[in-house]
Amino acid sequence: MTDHPLILTARMHAHPESSHTIATYEATGGYTALRTALDMGRDAIVEEVKAANLRGRGGAGFPAGVKWGFLAPARPAYLVVNGDESEPGTFKDRQLMERDPHQLVEGTIISSLANEVNHAFIYIRGEYPKSARRVQAAVDEAYAAGYLGANILDSGYDLELTVHLGGGAYICGEETALLNSLEGRRGEPRLKPPFFPAVRGLYMAPTIVNNIETLSNIPWIINNGGNAYSAIGPEDSPGRRMCSISGHVNRPGNYEIVEGITWRELIYDVAGGIRNGNELKAWVPGGASAPWFVPAEHLDTEVTKAAIDSNGSMTGSGAVIVMDHTTDMVAAAERLVRFFAHESCGLCTPCREGTTWLDMILRRMLAGHGRASDPDVLYDVSDNISPGVTWPPKMTTICPLGPSAVSPVASLLKHFPEEVAAAVERGTQVPVSIGIRS
Amino acid sequence: MSEPAEFVTIKLNGEEIQAPAGEMLIKVAEDNGTYIPRFCWHPRMKPVGLCRMCLVEVETPRGTALVPSCVQPVADGMAVETGSPVALKAQEGVLEFLLVNHPLDCPICDRGGECPLQDQVMSYGPGESRFVEEKRHYEKPVPISDLVLLDRERCILCARCTRFSDEIAGDPLIEFQNRGNGTEIFTFPDEPFASYFSGNTVQICPVGALTAAPYRFRARPWDLLTIESTSPFHTEGSRITVHASQNQVLRFLGVDNGLTNQGWLSDKERFGFEFIGSPDRLKMPMIREDGEFREASWGEAIGLVAARLKEIVERSGPDAVGAIGGAQGTNEDAYALSKFMRVAVGTNNLDAQLDDGLNPDFLVGVGSRARIQDLESAKTILVWSADLKEENPILYLRVRRAARELDATLIVVHPARTGLDDLADHKFGYRPGDGADLLADLAAGTQDYAPALDALQDGPVVVILGRTGLSEDGGLAEAVASFARDLPAASIMPIVRRANTFGALDMGVAPSLLPGRIPARGASGAIIELWGKVPATRGLDTAGMLAGLVGGELEALIMVGADPVRDVPSGSKAADALRAADFSVAIDLFMTDSAAMADVVLPAEGFTEKEGTVTNLEGRVQKVNRIVPGPGQARPDWSVLDGIAESMGSPIGLPSSEAIAKEISTVATAYEGVSWDLLEGEAREGAVVPIGDVRQPLEYIAVNAEQPARTKGLALHLARTLYDDGSAIRHSLSLAKLAPGMTAGLSPDQAVDLGVEAGDLVTVSIGSVTFACPVRIDRALADKTVAIPFNQPGIETLDAAASVLVKAGGSS
Amino acid sequence: MTDTARWSEESEALAESVMAKYPQKRSALMPLLYIAMREDGYLSEAGMRRVADLVDLEPAQVSSVASFYTMYKLEPVGKYLVSVCTSISCWLLGGDEVLEAVEASAGVPSGETDESGVISPEHVECIGACGGAPAVQVNYELIEGLTPKKATELVEWLNAAQPATLNGDEMQALFGGERSFDWAINETNDATGPYPAFQPHGTIAALDRS
Repeated sequence: MTDHPLILTARMHAHPESSHTIATYEATGGYTALRTALDMGRDAIVEEVKAANLRGRGGAGFPAGVKWGFLAPARPAYLVVNGDESEPGTFKDRQLMERDPHQLVEGTIISSLANEVNHAFIYIRGEYPKSARRVQAAVDEAYAAGYLGANILDSGYDLELTVHLGGGAYICGEETALLNSLEGRRGEPRLKPPFFPAVRGLYMAPTIVNNIETLSNIPWIINNGGNAYSAIGPEDSPGRRMCSISGHVNRPGNYEIVEGITWRELIYDVAGGIRNGNELKAWVPGGASAPWFVPAEHLDTEVTKAAIDSNGSMTGSGAVIVMDHTTDMVAAAERLVRFFAHESCGLCTPCREGTTWLDMILRRMLAGHGRASDPDVLYDVSDNISPGVTWPPKMTTICPLGPSAVSPVASLLKHFPEEVAAAVERGTQVPVSIGIRS
Repeated sequence: MSEPAEFVTIKLNGEEIQAPAGEMLIKVAEDNGTYIPRFCWHPRMKPVGLCRMCLVEVETPRGTALVPSCVQPVADGMAVETGSPVALKAQEGVLEFLLVNHPLDCPICDRGGECPLQDQVMSYGPGESRFVEEKRHYEKPVPISDLVLLDRERCILCARCTRFSDEIAGDPLIEFQNRGNGTEIFTFPDEPFASYFSGNTVQICPVGALTAAPYRFRARPWDLLTIESTSPFHTEGSRITVHASQNQVLRFLGVDNGLTNQGWLSDKERFGFEFIGSPDRLKMPMIREDGEFREASWGEAIGLVAARLKEIVERSGPDAVGAIGGAQGTNEDAYALSKFMRVAVGTNNLDAQLDDGLNPDFLVGVGSRARIQDLESAKTILVWSADLKEENPILYLRVRRAARELDATLIVVHPARTGLDDLADHKFGYRPGDGADLLADLAAGTQDYAPALDALQDGPVVVILGRTGLSEDGGLAEAVASFARDLPAASIMPIVRRANTFGALDMGVAPSLLPGRIPARGASGAIIELWGKVPATRGLDTAGMLAGLVGGELEALIMVGADPVRDVPSGSKAADALRAADFSVAIDLFMTDSAAMADVVLPAEGFTEKEGTVTNLEGRVQKVNRIVPGPGQARPDWSVLDGIAESMGSPIGLPSSEAIAKEISTVATAYEGVSWDLLEGEAREGAVVPIGDVRQPLEYIAVNAEQPARTKGLALHLARTLYDDGSAIRHSLSLAKLAPGMTAGLSPDQAVDLGVEAGDLVTVSIGSVTFACPVRIDRALADKTVAIPFNQPGIETLDAAASVLVKAGGSS
Repeated sequence: MTDTARWSEESEALAESVMAKYPQKRSALMPLLYIAMREDGYLSEAGMRRVADLVDLEPAQVSSVASFYTMYKLEPVGKYLVSVCTSISCWLLGGDEVLEAVEASAGVPSGETDESGVISPEHVECIGACGGAPAVQVNYELIEGLTPKKATELVEWLNAAQPATLNGDEMQALFGGERSFDWAINETNDATGPYPAFQPHGTIAALDRS
């Protein structure tokens, strides 16, 4: 991976204390891509991004250029940048926003230009005020320098860019929930169909929703060409991507990786191995929703989208959560399920009721009151949220949040049945109830 | 809506069927005999696909998928399995999830026995729950308004109530609060669910989460007798079911007549049933003796009335007798009154309106009368009438729907703020008295009015018109109509408020009309053959009769379900008139303020106690039915009038309500063929009586633009509110307390001029009546105007024509 | 809709400027809620009524939105909202123990406020500091790599010093440990209360740390 230059974090490494300023950004080639893009014209920008085969870095991994192609012709259209990074284990967008906000702003301007958008929004999760401050400062500087506002660089192109701070809701990372939130509504996902953002998005107008990291790649792609980008790494998931590693590793952090190394290399070389020389027990390969990997089956498989998909999990937000042999896997599953139960919007029945039910069962088991029927009930409740308990999931729900809560339960039952059995055995078989709402 | 549907072929459970393209799967399946369980889906609201109860399996290019059938439009070639093992498991799973937190307190739940959740668990649910954890707990139940209680433990969060309140009623006062497993329906603290339409949420709640205070714990559904009928409260003629047990009417529910109320009711017509069982109902005839009423037998009372009327007719001629009322009963009652006055007495002195409506010749004679359903296809709607939300709430909902969902351009003209203002594309206010000027400007399309006039050139146009307030000249509406009839594809809907006014006018309860909307002057044909000679001169209207009583030209007054002292917009004059009357008789349900001044008071049967027909504001005839007996010795109006005529020696020969209905269809051409059988059979949505045979060409009256009495001082905008001190409301305990009471509406500038703010007390003098009340700021009012609600509890009835003064300060 | 009590001139001006940033004013609802919090220290009923008035909604619609999100505090909170992450990555490295330390030190459980109205401990889901777990936010300013002991000291310091504004770099230096990534850049803005510090809401205090 050292064969390829850093794309996203190069500037912050070279200029750690000033990478967020417009002075440093311009001094290191910043906003040249915008000038180039203004000369290239819209179609050429889209072609470069398509050629780059830049996949969305928010979770779904859909190619950005293709996504742009779906934008309905009606105008006004909007670009919304999804900075609602909230998937447990993920903290990469935060670094990109805090440390190199102009890269994001420039990517946003170019993407807006390419899609004939005159008003873009950057939606940043409420718990990231520092990110919002840095991005807002960059936006202010960009306005002052003529990169934003009316008649950008005398091109005749106008763009307003609004930074919007969220209020604390993971579900707003789901693009239609994010649009509702940006409209001043509850962050409840919309039905797809009919509310595909590309056709009926923000204010029911055609809307593109792209992730922070995705758009931070755009200036590099314009400067270096889409082909240069797609030449990096595997053909179907090229480029560099941010990988947030956390948990029981010696060197947690964000790493700008090229896909193709193995999990062993990522965990032991890149992240420095397991703390205290402990044994690796399991890891979550792509954010809290992703089915778990275990060493016996997956340690020497590749960290590529194709390999992860074929092994039944997903690249997701690129977050890797590593757990060593001391971890109680029932408790780990409960921690993950608790998150989704807490973040369920409550709109659809299976998610609202089912995620909390799963969490209540797991908590009861952990409290020493497991029942013999619990494993079957855990599975069947999961099946009623995500029929077949497959990955990628089928859903009885409106959005994938419910199935995301099923994922750790399914992983637990699949990989650690003996821990589940032990938890049941600890139970007294006396029906008890424990209130868990707070 | 009106475009012809394109049809597609889908395979439903293996069977090929045709369905309109774009129709939702759940509806298509139901229309083809396959019921898919559901909670959040409601045919009159936009689908939201959130309860997930209606999941079915649909074949897609990538295998089968579970889709919610309420948000899945049918497409050609679609293959659907509604009962496959996967679909059934999903449905069972959703029901188990819904029961996880449901209290299962069915034995003490109003909904028990008619509960969609119960029913669907029975058909599609699991036999038992595997949930052994603790359920959600909430305080239960919580009153969220004077009429509605909320039990959040029972709630399954289908959002029917919140969507109704927001989308249909425009009162988003209950909403989802919190999120996830803690999501609940609730109001804002100290902001009750004070919607005129709140009861609809109780009816559409698929569990017992929302219950109605007037019905709570009153009955089990399986003990109820049920009939269908037509609401007696608004001129729209909402279709309802009446539910009774042990001779007590216990509730009304809305019925979905797609052409009128579409299932919705105002709270007034839903909860107003309480007056029926009121202990204050009149049960015996009463005769005034030495200033006091005493009970009497029907024979004695009718004998006395007949004798006094006969005596007066013989002494002073038939035109010394007059009758007010007839708009609160059935068409059959109204016909009896009309025939009684013409045949037994021999006068045209009768009026169904209480000086608060419109010229009857205009009301029955307006060409191209609009139907409510025309709002569905209207491009532009002009509303120049009373605030529909207050006086015609069902029409209000339909106009809202047209403007909000069907993108009609809405123009509202009214002196004050109205319920439709927020949806209006153009709103024009004016100082009461200046309406004719505004009309001239609108018709000329001068600057401010040009966009609205442009919109009015975009037909079809529906024009809803009526008196904006009681202090406005009714002639203005006619002038608006004469402007409107030249608009492209325009249809006109003149409206009045009192329930069966249109039926009464059709029956000839008007100074100039005979049954079938024919002029009394020069009448001929079947009616004359049956009735014989009828008086030709135009009779007195209500105002004329009241003046006539004071002046002595009129000596006797018959009041049939009419309370002029409370309802005529110069109530003190009505009281003077009754005092001056030589003889007066009231046929009524209650001892109203007017009845209390009469010489004889006769107890009448009311709604749900008698059978007959009524006619709504578009001419739609619908049936009303009987489910309980009247109290005591109460009799229907027609029977009382028939008895009096008999006793006077001038019989009118009306043996039964059904016989009257047959007579109506014989003598009133428009009602030909409108039989009870038809209304209970084929014409379940009612039969609209044709307007084509208008024999009275409409001559628009030029409105008097000058109203000099008010041009210098304050102008009075005197308008009714949904809840007031009318006798039905006064005797419906749940509603009586909802009358808003007196307020003085002022424009912001006017308030500044007076040195007052919202809530401050002012002293208002209207003619001889003076009262103190709080200020209400109404930004839509013109300056030099004060808006006062009519007929509020504890205040004498006001004179709409009197001069008005407002002073800061006062004591309440 | 009735006329509601206006905010301070500064907040009203902020509200105007925020609403101007969106094509539809309802979009300003969430930023306006933060302005309301700044006015009262939490999201009061009066604050929600004012917001409803500004964006032409019923108060119930505003509370429906506000109560959906965790950061709008509908009950009064202390001067310092101490949010302890207990999601998976922080839990793996002792987030629960940090929470216990904060609760013990504050003397009240999560979700409550101490008697003197200074500290409100709460446990929160992932705050995006997984590489620096366990992590805490004080008035949404982050401290990464805490230990229970450092968490106790943090609460004690807040109680004793009661700083008018909070600087993330300063707190990290005093109580933090390993971070998710090098913060590198000096933070020149301070948080002023239990709501996120962001210029358009007027909720920052800018520092001169030259």
